[in-house]
Amino acid sequence: MKAVLKTTVLTLLLLLASSFAVFAAIRLSGGDVTAARLPASATTEDRDLFRHQLGLDRPIIEQYFTYLGNLFTGDLGNSLTNNASIGDLAVEKIRNSAILGGVSLLLVFGIGIPLGMVASLRRNSWLDTGITSFSVGGMAVPNFWLALILIHIFATSLGWLPSAGQGGFKYLILPAVVLAAEGIALTVRMTRSSMIENLNQDFVRTLRAAGLSERRIYFKHVLRNSLLPIISLAGLRIGQIVGYALVVETIFGWPGVGQVLVNGVLRRDYPVVQFFSLLLVFVVTMGNLAASVGYTLANPRLRK
Amino acid sequence: MTVDDTPLLEIRDLSIGLRGDGVGYDIVRDVNMSLYRNETLAVVGESGCGKSLTALAVLSLIASPPLFITGGSIMFGGRDLTKVSTSEMRAVRGAEIAMVFQDPMSALDPMFTVGTLLTSAVKAHHKVKSAVAKERALEALADAGIEDPKRRFDEYPFQLSGGISQRVMIALALVNNPKILIADEPTTALDVTVQAQILERLKDLKDERGMALMLITHNLGVVASVADRMVVMYTGEVVESGAVDEVLASPHHPYTNGLLGAVPRLNSGAGQLVSIPGRVPQPYELPVGCTFADRCDRSIDICGVERPVLEHRARTEVRCHNPVG
Repeated sequence: MKAVLKTTVLTLLLLLASSFAVFAAIRLSGGDVTAARLPASATTEDRDLFRHQLGLDRPIIEQYFTYLGNLFTGDLGNSLTNNASIGDLAVEKIRNSAILGGVSLLLVFGIGIPLGMVASLRRNSWLDTGITSFSVGGMAVPNFWLALILIHIFATSLGWLPSAGQGGFKYLILPAVVLAAEGIALTVRMTRSSMIENLNQDFVRTLRAAGLSERRIYFKHVLRNSLLPIISLAGLRIGQIVGYALVVETIFGWPGVGQVLVNGVLRRDYPVVQFFSLLLVFVVTMGNLAASVGYTLANPRLRK
Repeated sequence: MTVDDTPLLEIRDLSIGLRGDGVGYDIVRDVNMSLYRNETLAVVGESGCGKSLTALAVLSLIASPPLFITGGSIMFGGRDLTKVSTSEMRAVRGAEIAMVFQDPMSALDPMFTVGTLLTSAVKAHHKVKSAVAKERALEALADAGIEDPKRRFDEYPFQLSGGISQRVMIALALVNNPKILIADEPTTALDVTVQAQILERLKDLKDERGMALMLITHNLGVVASVADRMVVMYTGEVVESGAVDEVLASPHHPYTNGLLGAVPRLNSGAGQLVSIPGRVPQPYELPVGCTFADRCDRSIDICGVERPVLEHRARTEVRCHNPVG
């Protein structure tokens, strides 16, 4: 339990540090906010006034703490492009992204772990070769390419699924599959190798000698041992899904955090980029924290 | 010692071979040994002599592939264990013949408590309530010589010392009251003081329960102190077998003789440790004649040409053309 507490404290510190890094990176990345918002005819005074209103003329540290203060009081600021409240925007975008990301995460583990187990159980069979080749393919193919190919096949040619947009389960299938593809591939490989490694451990022989059935040895003992590395890398899988969401949401026109962030960057909409970048950092960090706590709880050595 | 006439377990002409892409040679050849009720049989030999493999074959625990039983039979309760189905073998494992392994620290599943391991073993053979399984597990732990069974029941393997782990493994083997206990170098990984306690415990358990104990070891001291009969193996073959006091007092095979000569003794004065010259040939490079001929100081002409057979002598069996004594 002490380990969990330590990880939590470290995670919070990491969150604080990375929030400043994100904040500073956006301020220092150059580009003129007034060019995007004010007409070309605006005078230098007008532009300075505009920057002053946004607080951009103050030192970064000061801006950072003002922003942090506002964040904690629930004031997320307004978009520079349409003056909409970011708070209102966030609720809807987060919900959409959470649906897509959640389904992808379910696919990663719900498909990856069983496939990996099957491959390890039938190792060196045609089934194993098939699953392993499939997973190598999954790791090698870039997601934007996979997205285009799947759109071409299932939306354009076959017309089974919509190519973009949101509304109902059908719209979720393609983006979720693309988002999960690499994670599934990696989970398959890791599950397979971890299961095979544990199947060769001495304790398996002991359990066999005690008369336990192969099924019980496999699904209870070997699986439980094999899940440890999978749990410990679940944090990475979450980070991967968050990162890929930027690309996948844009391609599939999925109105989530990724899409709004990409548009925000293109329009130099500081408050929007700032908030949603921090949100992604928050999700990735929390994902890692959850994986780390999960690993601790699943491992009797660390739990005790 | 009272010995039943019919053996409980009889290994007849057992051969175990490695088969794979283009390779094929036997590692264990024509091994015969019998195990009787209420006796301790020691199987002795160097690493790689096939003693563990023979023991593992009894419960079909050899890694197959690449290893296969290539000949012979293992008779138990009127059945040939090399031919029974997987489910029949599962019913034998732990319930009739149990096994204790060498390295207790890696032989217990690290993710489960001692209690879970033991109760799973009970439930693998008996449809009983958890409370009953727990009771049996606690009894087995106590029988294995564990002082505080209730506490150990809830502990994980990493919380146990080597000696306690080995006792847990013995409890796991005992929990379903087997007729035969095979112990594969049960004390090799343990401290010397703990070794003695574990051996003593095994010996007492054998007597209390009327079990038969098959003890795989390379330690002749262990053989002398606990075993009734012994089988000496070399390069996958039995080279000598007989009553322990007989074999140890007057070994007939030069290899057994050499092994005995290599045991360090405190009263033999300072000096070098004695060893048998040469090295053990690999199973794929065995000579035509006696496999020990190259290292043997009693080697005669025939030893290089003809493989000796196991011959009955007064009270022992020896595989040698020119036996000692």
